[in-house]
Amino acid sequence: MQRFVNIILWFKEYLVFALLLIFSLILLNSNDNVQIKAIRSYTIGMIGSIQNALAIIPNIFEIKRENETLRQLNVNLSDEVNRLREARLENIRLRSMLGLKDKSDFKLLTADIIGKNLHLLNNTITLNVGENNGVRNNMPIISEMGLVGKIIATSKHYSIGQLMLSKDFRASAKIQRNRIDGIIVWNKGSNVELKNIVKTQEVRIGDVVLTSEYSSIFPPNIKIGTVYNVSEQPGSLFKQIEVTPSVDFTMLEQVFIVIAVQDTERVNLEKKLVRQKK
Amino acid sequence: MMKHIKYLFLTFIFIFIQSQIIQLISLEGITPDILIIWIAYIAVKNGQLYATVWGFIIGLIFDLSIGSFIGISALSKTVAGFTAGYFFRDNKSVILLTSYRFLIIVLISSLISNTIYFLIFTRGSEIDLLHVIFLIGFTTSIYTTAFSILLMFSFSRRYSKLHV
Repeated sequence: MQRFVNIILWFKEYLVFALLLIFSLILLNSNDNVQIKAIRSYTIGMIGSIQNALAIIPNIFEIKRENETLRQLNVNLSDEVNRLREARLENIRLRSMLGLKDKSDFKLLTADIIGKNLHLLNNTITLNVGENNGVRNNMPIISEMGLVGKIIATSKHYSIGQLMLSKDFRASAKIQRNRIDGIIVWNKGSNVELKNIVKTQEVRIGDVVLTSEYSSIFPPNIKIGTVYNVSEQPGSLFKQIEVTPSVDFTMLEQVFIVIAVQDTERVNLEKKLVRQKK
Repeated sequence: MMKHIKYLFLTFIFIFIQSQIIQLISLEGITPDILIIWIAYIAVKNGQLYATVWGFIIGLIFDLSIGSFIGISALSKTVAGFTAGYFFRDNKSVILLTSYRFLIIVLISSLISNTIYFLIFTRGSEIDLLHVIFLIGFTTSIYTTAFSILLMFSFSRRYSKLHV
């Protein structure tokens, strides 16, 4: 017995190391566990409160830069408002001619960004709204400039949004000009890639990329960005399309959460089909 | 006991700096990992067992604070602590902290920690692991080591004053 105790004491560093490794691996595999989610939700609330308290400290450089950007944006938006007014009048006229019903707008919830975690591969923002405001996982986050990301975790008063520039982010997208569909994936830098577009399809630099109707998370026709590079790799069937996001993620201060509940019937049906194929 | 409370308090401060303030000194998006430096310091001062356990605690609190996958930093920082603990020598912590050896400890721990982190993080994604390890992991380790030079000099000053 004493010998056994001596062996344990002799190798205690290795034993503790092995135990902690096993415990870490168990934690990694339990991220979907209800208890882990509850702990996560609690810590998000706690960290959110701290970040919220610190958000009152103004950053002079950020304010100056934001002011300049907002002035520029204001000029652009004024111009766009005029054009949209014209387009809306024309749209109303055409809809009434076709007998189409006016599509209802989404309910938007304004949220302040109280924390940013830009950890290169895992870029998230902390928002000052949570479950009490109706925020749920997978709700889309947008700004006046376009798609920002989606909600990945919530607590009662705070939520965490995954930015488009994250390795797990995917969104169904289409080219506005010719309605070609693809999938938006982050390319590790400050841009995203539009994948699954075969070489035979035509994509031009400057084409606008929007969310498509195929997504069960994002509403259609939200601007994602603009195509800035199209290339073809020998041996690949697909084009390599790089898209510059329309949102400047470093400048984001306020966003909107689209309060839209996922169509569970559709999601369940799609999941069922995937399981059947497996 | 007081030492543990002090370490826990400092851990919270360092995690806050790492997640909220360190971005101000980022170079092309690369930031130094001050938690690795903190783990290396614990290892040099207290040994392998302490460093392994504190590596796990620091990693776990960090995972919880940034809303990331829980367990990923806990795992990588546990290994970092275990690795840094190999360099522990009884009654030689001052020599280690005030010499280039501290930088080597930080560099090796950081490289191993980042490799493990990205090995798990990129699993199942289309991101090229080697590319990420070299582009982010290696540069982060170099920046962390460069950052720890400041600490090495400050330790050196502090201990030389104590001996005068």
